[in-house]
Amino acid sequence: MPPKSGHQRVKQLGYDGDDLYYDDDYSDEGGGDGLSPEDKEQMRQGTIQVKAALASSISVSDAEIQEALWHYYYDIDKSVTYLKSKSAKVEEKKSSGKLDILIFGLKKLFPYPIPRQSSYKHVAVSAAEFFNDTPWLNVPIHRRGEIIVEPLYPRGGLLGGSSKPSKLAALAAARKRKQREDGVASVPDNADTSHDKEPDRAVALLDRLSLKDRAKEKAPPSLGSSEQPEELSKKKPRQTRYPVRRKKSPSPPPVQRREEPSGPIPEPSAAIEIPDLRAPPSTFAAAMIGANRMEPQPRPLRGSMFSLPYIHNGWFTNANAFAGPSPDDIVMNAQAKGQKSKKVPSKQVNGGKSTNKLTESVSSLTIEEAPKVKSKNLNVLQEFEKSNMKKTASFVVIGHVDHGKSTLMGRLLYDLKVIDQRSVDKLRKEAETIGKSSFALAWVMDQTSEERSRGVTVDIATNYFETEKTRFTILDAPGHQDFIPNMIAGASQADFAVLVIDAGTNSFESGLKGQTKEHALLVRSMGVQRLVIAVNKMDTISWSKARYDEISQQMTAFLTAASFSPKNLAFIPCAGLTGDNIIRPPPDGTIPGNWYSGPTLVEALDASEPAKRALSLPLRLTVADVFRGGVMNPLSVSGRLDAGSLQVGDTVLAMPANETATIKGIEVEGEPVDWAVAGQITTLHLADIDAVHLRLGDIVCSPAAPIKNVKSFQAKILAFEHVVPMSVDVFRGRMNAPAKVTKLVAVLSKQSGEVEKKRPRIVQPGSVARVVVEMEREMPLDSGTRIVLRADGATVAAGLLESV
Amino acid sequence: MTDRRRINAPSGGTSTPIFARTVKDPDSLHTLRPTRARQPDELRKIFLKTGLTPSASGSAYLEIPPADPPTTPSPPASLIPPRSSLKLACAVHGPKPLPRSAPFSPHLILTTTVKFAPFAARARRGYIRDASERDLGVHLETALRGVVIGERWPKSGVEVVVTVLEAEEDVWWGDEFTAGLGRTGGWGLMTVLAGCVTVASAAIADAGIDCVDLVSGGVAAIVRNPDAKGKGRSEGEAETKTEGPYTVLDPCPAEHQEIVAGCVVGYLPGRDEITALWMKGEAGEFAEQVVDRAVQASIATMTVLKEAVKEAAELKFQGSAGGDKGIKSLGVSNDVEMVG
Repeated sequence: MPPKSGHQRVKQLGYDGDDLYYDDDYSDEGGGDGLSPEDKEQMRQGTIQVKAALASSISVSDAEIQEALWHYYYDIDKSVTYLKSKSAKVEEKKSSGKLDILIFGLKKLFPYPIPRQSSYKHVAVSAAEFFNDTPWLNVPIHRRGEIIVEPLYPRGGLLGGSSKPSKLAALAAARKRKQREDGVASVPDNADTSHDKEPDRAVALLDRLSLKDRAKEKAPPSLGSSEQPEELSKKKPRQTRYPVRRKKSPSPPPVQRREEPSGPIPEPSAAIEIPDLRAPPSTFAAAMIGANRMEPQPRPLRGSMFSLPYIHNGWFTNANAFAGPSPDDIVMNAQAKGQKSKKVPSKQVNGGKSTNKLTESVSSLTIEEAPKVKSKNLNVLQEFEKSNMKKTASFVVIGHVDHGKSTLMGRLLYDLKVIDQRSVDKLRKEAETIGKSSFALAWVMDQTSEERSRGVTVDIATNYFETEKTRFTILDAPGHQDFIPNMIAGASQADFAVLVIDAGTNSFESGLKGQTKEHALLVRSMGVQRLVIAVNKMDTISWSKARYDEISQQMTAFLTAASFSPKNLAFIPCAGLTGDNIIRPPPDGTIPGNWYSGPTLVEALDASEPAKRALSLPLRLTVADVFRGGVMNPLSVSGRLDAGSLQVGDTVLAMPANETATIKGIEVEGEPVDWAVAGQITTLHLADIDAVHLRLGDIVCSPAAPIKNVKSFQAKILAFEHVVPMSVDVFRGRMNAPAKVTKLVAVLSKQSGEVEKKRPRIVQPGSVARVVVEMEREMPLDSGTRIVLRADGATVAAGLLESV
Repeated sequence: MTDRRRINAPSGGTSTPIFARTVKDPDSLHTLRPTRARQPDELRKIFLKTGLTPSASGSAYLEIPPADPPTTPSPPASLIPPRSSLKLACAVHGPKPLPRSAPFSPHLILTTTVKFAPFAARARRGYIRDASERDLGVHLETALRGVVIGERWPKSGVEVVVTVLEAEEDVWWGDEFTAGLGRTGGWGLMTVLAGCVTVASAAIADAGIDCVDLVSGGVAAIVRNPDAKGKGRSEGEAETKTEGPYTVLDPCPAEHQEIVAGCVVGYLPGRDEITALWMKGEAGEFAEQVVDRAVQASIATMTVLKEAVKEAAELKFQGSAGGDKGIKSLGVSNDVEMVG
């Protein structure tokens, strides 16, 4: 079949719609309860005619007649036939048994208003009868329709349902009532469900069910017995003991009920009393409820949904709750009484004056908050001299990314037995699982998971080792250009620097263009004088002397240009991965021709002269880290002690927050100490200060000589890029702050420092200039501080703060 | 799965004592068989009391004690009671706010639990609810759901817990003894359910939860006594003696050798509504009739339920409102509640 065209489909839709429309129309006209006036008139006439046609002996309700008429389309003959046959069937059933007695009995039994619908037990009353000839689950449509359309039998049909009579039923009821008034009450009325009785029904039912004095009532015969099929109902219809559902129980109207008890009707013999169904409690029940505890404890009345637990207490209902003394008052009064009674003897002994004095003196006492930490009041400088401390030095390891800084330091620590074999083995294993076995030693320094997974150092890593002469602090700086700020922070703490250079082909050259150069310039401008250049990865170029020489020449040229003095430069060839020439010279045969016989890396480090300690200057400590030091030390800061000294118990001032704090404890190289001096990288455990006042880059200073917060300063800078009046970031250790170069004062001579050109428009790279920088917010800065200016991720200049 | 948290009885349960007399003379066992001394439409007496559990919002206790044998030979023939009795305790907790985790509900959430005590029947029950208990719980919920006006308690829940302290037995113990535990039929559950409905209704009324009506449970059954003729019958029964099946109200399974069909209804007399219907067995053409009879039984049960609720309410209101005024107002409010 070819697919239908859209047109056809539209047509069909149209037909469907029409059908629906006609259906609606039809149902409006003929269906439902709403009978048209013609229908009603027809119905009325038909009812009269059928009544006439039916013998008067057969009592059929109007509703019945109307129903029959309805179904036979007002055909009177058919309706009459149907009704006759129907009533005959019921009569037949009724005829056996003590019907007369029962009817008498019923009047006696139900002397109260119970709605019911029919005097004769027609089929529709009982569910059983109603569906007599109907197969289960296959009810013909017209039968179904009857149930819905015809709620003629108010309590009929299935159990339950609406209690409201239909219009027809109401009509019939009204008519019946009229009939009854006319005196045709010999037949018990039907369809007696008028509205005015509705409310009484439940009450009546309750009365019936509950009142014991009416327990003598007899129940009507159950319909069940009269309906019982042959086998079950062979016997005479029994009286049931219990009230049957009232829809089946024909009983006289309520008016008659009051007259009934005195009525002379003889009691039917079959009637039996309703036994009192209430049993006495068994022994068990009596034990449970308590034999004499027949009244329950007064339980809270549940007036509201969620009753409050105390509202039934007597005192709650007492409206004037605040009339008496409150519980607190009672206690206070009692205490006052107790005091009075104590005071009386003391007065007698000492007299009133002494008591007053005592109270005065007590009240004059004030509690001053004792400092939590007691200072030992040491003379730190004397202690330092007495201690004969080993030389301490800190160095920053710099260099281009992937030139092996961390690996070199890891090897150094490993060979110096700072890191034990087990940890290194563990690291090796972990590195192998990731597939980066060569990173194992670098992981000694790079401990965060991000650093390990990325394979680059991100933040400064600090570690310590010791040689015979010196205690060293390693500051392993990140090589990657993205982490230059971290490198600056590390470099600012260092006494000297180790520049690691990859000797491999191309690596050195790329490094020279990249961070080898930038780092070298930065450390120089941060004030680092001495530089140890570790020419790393010599094993990859088989310790080639030519390559080594080439690198040292190029670097010397570059570094001297960057104003490092040649005597402060030391070149050490080494191999971090294999560990050659780090703490011990490489084994024989490693170096072809043994061309190198100079110092090892550690010897070169040891040769560094100790930096002069600015012990007598006022305290300055740059905060490199703020952290929670443990349960006992909720707030700790670490950083290099740039100048001065401090001891436990000192009060310090944190700038720029301008908040004081007390030093609870000091740690140097992981060991708790009592004091610390300039040059040491220390951890201070602070008290009496909130963490919000401390940030990276803050300065901890002494309250006696505080550092000033400055907004603008003049600085002598070495320009790495073109410097014009521009926005820059000022770096000082960890601290960085947005600022603006507002004025170029002069370009200076590199050698003499004399003014070459005043008020230049631009500062060329490589030249020295004096500029004025204005900060966006105040920062603690001292004159003489080394600063770095960066813009757009590149270092623009580095310099010295001349005057505030 | 075994219950490891408690000390459990032997899994086989306890067996009824066997007396030498019954072993020697098996027929003597059958002389002990109880027979129904009541009329077919006569219920056993019921003891019902509300307010038993102090901690619950509402509670009730229902008991159907075994009827006194009409003409007992002075020494009882057996130590085993011929019939079991029914003992139910019901506690209603709530209405209380639903837990925070529960989804929003615009009406009262009704939770029903029926639990048999381990000692409730001859065969020992476990502590964990089994299938029949859950089934009864569902039936009970069906019976109560239409009664409680749940719209008045949004976001709340009420728990109805029925504990069966002693259950109606499914068959006479002698039959159990001869035929084994398997052939039980579960007829006792019907009486239990009817009792559950009644006792729960009383407890809900005691808790003061708004209902459209009191609901009472009723049981009717079609029974057949194949060899009832000529064997130890009482005189009162003479009328109903027949080979064929006939309907009885409130069947006691121990008294009937064969129950053909049974029916439990939860019935609201005030509205002429059935809220729950449970039919069992082959009722055939008499199905509707059994339902009607069960309704009759529930109407009869209602007399007791009404009395118990009223009695409890009178005492309750006496304490707070004082005197007959309280009772009067109770009467009014009760009526209003019933009409719903």
